[in-house]
Amino acid sequence: MKKLLLGTAVVAASFGSMASAEGYKIGISNTVQGNGWREEMVCAMKAQALASGEVTSLNIAHRNTDAAGQLEDIRNLIQAGVNAIVVNPANADGINAAIKEATDKGIVVVAVDQAVTEPSAYIISNNQEEYAYLGAKWLFTQIGGKGAVVYMRGAAGAEADNDRDKGFKKALAEFPGVTVAQEVFTGWQQDQGKQQINDIIAAGTKFDGVWTSGIDNVIVDAFVESGAPMVPIVGADNAGFVGQLATVAGLKGAAVTNPGSVGGAGVALALQILDGKAPKDHTVLVDPVLWDNTTDAGKASIAAAQNPNLNPEWPVSVSIPNWTTYSMDQIIACKGPGE
Amino acid sequence: MTRFLANNGWTLGLAGLLAMLLVATKMIQPEFGVSGLDSLGRASLPFALATLGMAVVVIAGGIDLSFASMMAVCSVTAALLMEGASDGTSALVVLAVLALGAAMGAINGTLIVVTRVPDIVVTLAMLFVWQGTALLILNAPGGAAAPWLRSLIVGGVALPGVSPALTEWLPKSLVFLLACLCAIWLPIRRSKLGLMFYAIGSDASAAFRSGVPVGRTKIAAYAVTGLFAALGGLSVTMSTGIGEPIPGPYLLAAVAAVVLGGVVLGGGRGGLLGPILAVFVLRLVRMDLTLMSVDPNVTTIVEGSIMVVVVMLGGVLATRGRRT
Repeated sequence: MKKLLLGTAVVAASFGSMASAEGYKIGISNTVQGNGWREEMVCAMKAQALASGEVTSLNIAHRNTDAAGQLEDIRNLIQAGVNAIVVNPANADGINAAIKEATDKGIVVVAVDQAVTEPSAYIISNNQEEYAYLGAKWLFTQIGGKGAVVYMRGAAGAEADNDRDKGFKKALAEFPGVTVAQEVFTGWQQDQGKQQINDIIAAGTKFDGVWTSGIDNVIVDAFVESGAPMVPIVGADNAGFVGQLATVAGLKGAAVTNPGSVGGAGVALALQILDGKAPKDHTVLVDPVLWDNTTDAGKASIAAAQNPNLNPEWPVSVSIPNWTTYSMDQIIACKGPGE
Repeated sequence: MTRFLANNGWTLGLAGLLAMLLVATKMIQPEFGVSGLDSLGRASLPFALATLGMAVVVIAGGIDLSFASMMAVCSVTAALLMEGASDGTSALVVLAVLALGAAMGAINGTLIVVTRVPDIVVTLAMLFVWQGTALLILNAPGGAAAPWLRSLIVGGVALPGVSPALTEWLPKSLVFLLACLCAIWLPIRRSKLGLMFYAIGSDASAAFRSGVPVGRTKIAAYAVTGLFAALGGLSVTMSTGIGEPIPGPYLLAAVAAVVLGGVVLGGGRGGLLGPILAVFVLRLVRMDLTLMSVDPNVTTIVEGSIMVVVVMLGGVLATRGRRT
């Protein structure tokens, strides 16, 4: 045993700073807990780490906190001696200091889902502006280019919400006949969004469509329960909403993909970089796709995405082609290496 | 000597716990050293300032639920005004933000005194008022912090003429914290005002009969709390370089550290050193659990359990002490 240890030490020393091909230690930092999308992201990270066979341990800092708290988490991960950190940043600028400290120590940092402005980090994210633009454009076309829509945003002050607002406004500018009947922030909370749409329906506000920032299935529920005339609804590819697109009578809607599995892609990218295959560009964007239940192609995508084992709040696009290598069962199991 | 031990037993116990945790950290991660202390100091800074502010108002018999929202208002105001500002202007911004914090605290206190609505209700309402204010000032994270301000809390202390080996282990962020404590709390504690804080906290009517202006003292206590909220908000902006309009997890963390630090929630008893030590204990526990890659959901359970055990243990020891 002693000999073996000694041998390993000699090998490690002779390779210098080059990490051995097996046994990376990966750190993960996430600042929103109890949200289906983020939980899928973390499970995708675990599943990808396991499926890659290159990761011996994961250190996960997963809690509800702000940018200052994430600085603490990243510094703790640096202390833990990880080879790479995959982070869903609380803010594009706020965690740069800790990222710089990590990359200065030779740790690979990959930001997933949202960008960071620290140039030494790699970024792989969903294109949020395109996400909102795609859905809004579909909705405005669906209502014939004129009328009023309810605009149900995410959390006030969140980076992704601001990017989506840009995309929404871009589409709005292209359709001069469309107005916003009511603008609310759901805070990406199911109960809050449902309360708001119930209030809007009860108040008798006139509207022809609803755009949501991913709080979608409860909105459909509200229409069904209140018996109000159904209008076109845009949501995300959450399992519950995609199921409704296939089953709820009279519902015309579209789901825009926003895969939480981008977390798994982040781990895959970090491992590529550790193996010496860094991409030329520091930023990799994953473009969203729109599945509507008014065209055959869209219906086919919706049918293909149904899986009764998926949590209804999870996005159904559980993998990203060319990036993630885990199976559907692995991500649902949500187990990382050594678990 | 015995009296000193009896009076400061809680604080000394926390210091012992902190020392044990530091040793444990070194055992878990043998490379834990200067940079580890520095990151601990920086992570603790906003929590420590929040805890100090909360401790002051709790000692004076109140509680401020709007604390984290006030921090957010100060953080976004500072970040917005400092964007593109010169060093001199940003120094003025710091002073203005401190005044703003004290003013917000004084508004909280005045509302409580004038309306006679309980502290917890007024500050709960103000939580939403200040939260909305912060979002009006800056609707998304943004702004900037002056580089000189940010460098105040980065790295170890370096004194001219002293070998860096002697001082580099001491994080600047810790010095900054102690400087705030000494500049604000020490003069108050040693003056009549500090005595009056404790007096209205332990028994407001007795304090009134002894000639303490209870209303004005309460407003002053809330103003001091607001001042610490400004420092806390500034420290968030200093460490992140931006202002964040959505309040961070500081409110409950501060109340937790105040309780763990030996301040009685009813008011009138406790100091400020214990709560600071409690903040470091809680931060270090989190660091250790991350180092050991414990399931993150278990981490919060452990944090809560430590608090319950320590406070219960303290209660048991206190009752025993009284009996003998």
